[in-house]
Amino acid sequence: MKDSKTSKVIFLIIFAVYMLVPILATYMFSVAVRWDRTILPEGYTLKWYAETFHHPYFIIALKNSLFLALYTVVLNLVLIVPAAYIAHTRLPGAKMPMDLLTILPFGIPRVILALALITVFTIRPIARSPFLLVSACTVFSMPYMYRPIANSLEAMDLRTINDAARLQGASASQILLYIIGPNILTGIVSGSLLVYSAIFAEYTLAVLITGARFKTLPMLLVEFTRRDGRIASAISVTAFTIAMFLSLAIIFIARKREHGQGKEKV
Amino acid sequence: MIKQNFRVLHPGIAKALDSIWIIPFFLFCLIFEIIPIIILVKDSFFDSAGLFTLANYAGLKKPVYMLSFWNSIRLSAITALFGTVLGTFIGYSILKTKAKWLKGLFTALANVTTNFAGAPLAFAFIIILGENGVITLLFALVLNIHLYPHFQIYSYAGLVVAYTYFQLPLMILLIIPSFAGLQKEWREAAVNMGASTFTYWRYIGLPLLTPSLIAGFVLLFANAYGAYATAYTLVASNLMLVTTQIAFVVKGEVLHNPALAKAMATVSLLIMGICISIYKIAITRAPGAEK
Repeated sequence: MKDSKTSKVIFLIIFAVYMLVPILATYMFSVAVRWDRTILPEGYTLKWYAETFHHPYFIIALKNSLFLALYTVVLNLVLIVPAAYIAHTRLPGAKMPMDLLTILPFGIPRVILALALITVFTIRPIARSPFLLVSACTVFSMPYMYRPIANSLEAMDLRTINDAARLQGASASQILLYIIGPNILTGIVSGSLLVYSAIFAEYTLAVLITGARFKTLPMLLVEFTRRDGRIASAISVTAFTIAMFLSLAIIFIARKREHGQGKEKV
Repeated sequence: MIKQNFRVLHPGIAKALDSIWIIPFFLFCLIFEIIPIIILVKDSFFDSAGLFTLANYAGLKKPVYMLSFWNSIRLSAITALFGTVLGTFIGYSILKTKAKWLKGLFTALANVTTNFAGAPLAFAFIIILGENGVITLLFALVLNIHLYPHFQIYSYAGLVVAYTYFQLPLMILLIIPSFAGLQKEWREAAVNMGASTFTYWRYIGLPLLTPSLIAGFVLLFANAYGAYATAYTLVASNLMLVTTQIAFVVKGEVLHNPALAKAMATVSLLIMGICISIYKIAITRAPGAEK
């Protein structure tokens, strides 16, 4: 009994060290004056952040990443919320194909998705445009949006709600906006956060579809990894800190939902 | 009121109005997901003159492409194995942690670190395990073990270390519900009948967990196989992988034959398809799965 307890502690320590050391090292590197000859940094400074934030490309790349993630969330919402709702209420036949289409992207590596999209879309305004990038990001992130929303819908007694609302003369859009919407709001919020953090950190699709024309933060990071590690660490910390708060928000919302509704699964 | 009567009188029209809401979704998937993939697969069977051919697949026999497949499969299998085994033990240890706050903290750590992937992850490992990295220095100064030049972060071994990092939290998050799905009563019953911890796991626990372990392994395999950002940041063109080879074609950096890249992509989609199918079958048999 004692032995298994020690081994549990050892596994937890391995886990904590393996997961935390790379992250903490990045944070420390970003404030270190110099850290390549000694075990601890030779001094601390915020100079690299000042340099990074003043870099003209940094602001552009940050803006691009923030907007790319935002547009992807919006497109996801527009496409998935009404469709998921209808598929779960009045067109049950659409549910199976919808489940399938939102699982499929898991089986398509992003490199291959990019290759397929640039093969098909060769005509000028769309080819390698930010618009095509948003579409690619939406395909890739659909599972993250669909799953929490589908879970919320499955937890509700939709048929009864729907019939009752219909009897009162509510239209489909009114039911969606005033009854279903607020009820699946937690699913929508956690789906949106998941999509946002996934796309905010997205490198592969951006570099392969738009390339240098539309630089995102991860692209800038890869560039600086080879040129200047200190700037790279400042970019990395900025990106990870944003992503970390997003995922903490997701955990918080998921917990709240568990307490609120009990039987739902995330 | 008028609207309601209208719907009661014409259920067919009501249904057509309903479908308007789902059409954008299906249309979007068709245009940006299904058709491009079908065209990609179709292209891999045709030559530049538009004639049917298997030459693109025959071309994959060249050592450079065989090596890419071999590297990708080997890297994915090894890191999936590490992730599955380590993740299972860690997941179990997290679940059995008594202090609630500590359990929450470890689960949160697994959740947060799933975001630490791609370029930031590769860069972090350069900082700690590069030639002047802090762990490299620590080994050299404290233990007098010189990692370099035997070990290189910009190499296959480096990729194994970095990939295992992003595999672990995924496996942990996947396996915890399965452990939780193992009923306490089963173990009590086994112990009452005289089973030791080992016999319980050997004959009851492990067989019940096998579907989850298989599901975890194939999911991690697919996850590693499709990864690109970490690999590109660490090894660029030093090591041939399927994803980096395809990406070179997309970027137009190397004079590769695009049709060959499409054949590579098609073979990869087949591998992914097998992984996802195994995953779907296995996950429904996992303890704790309701669907």
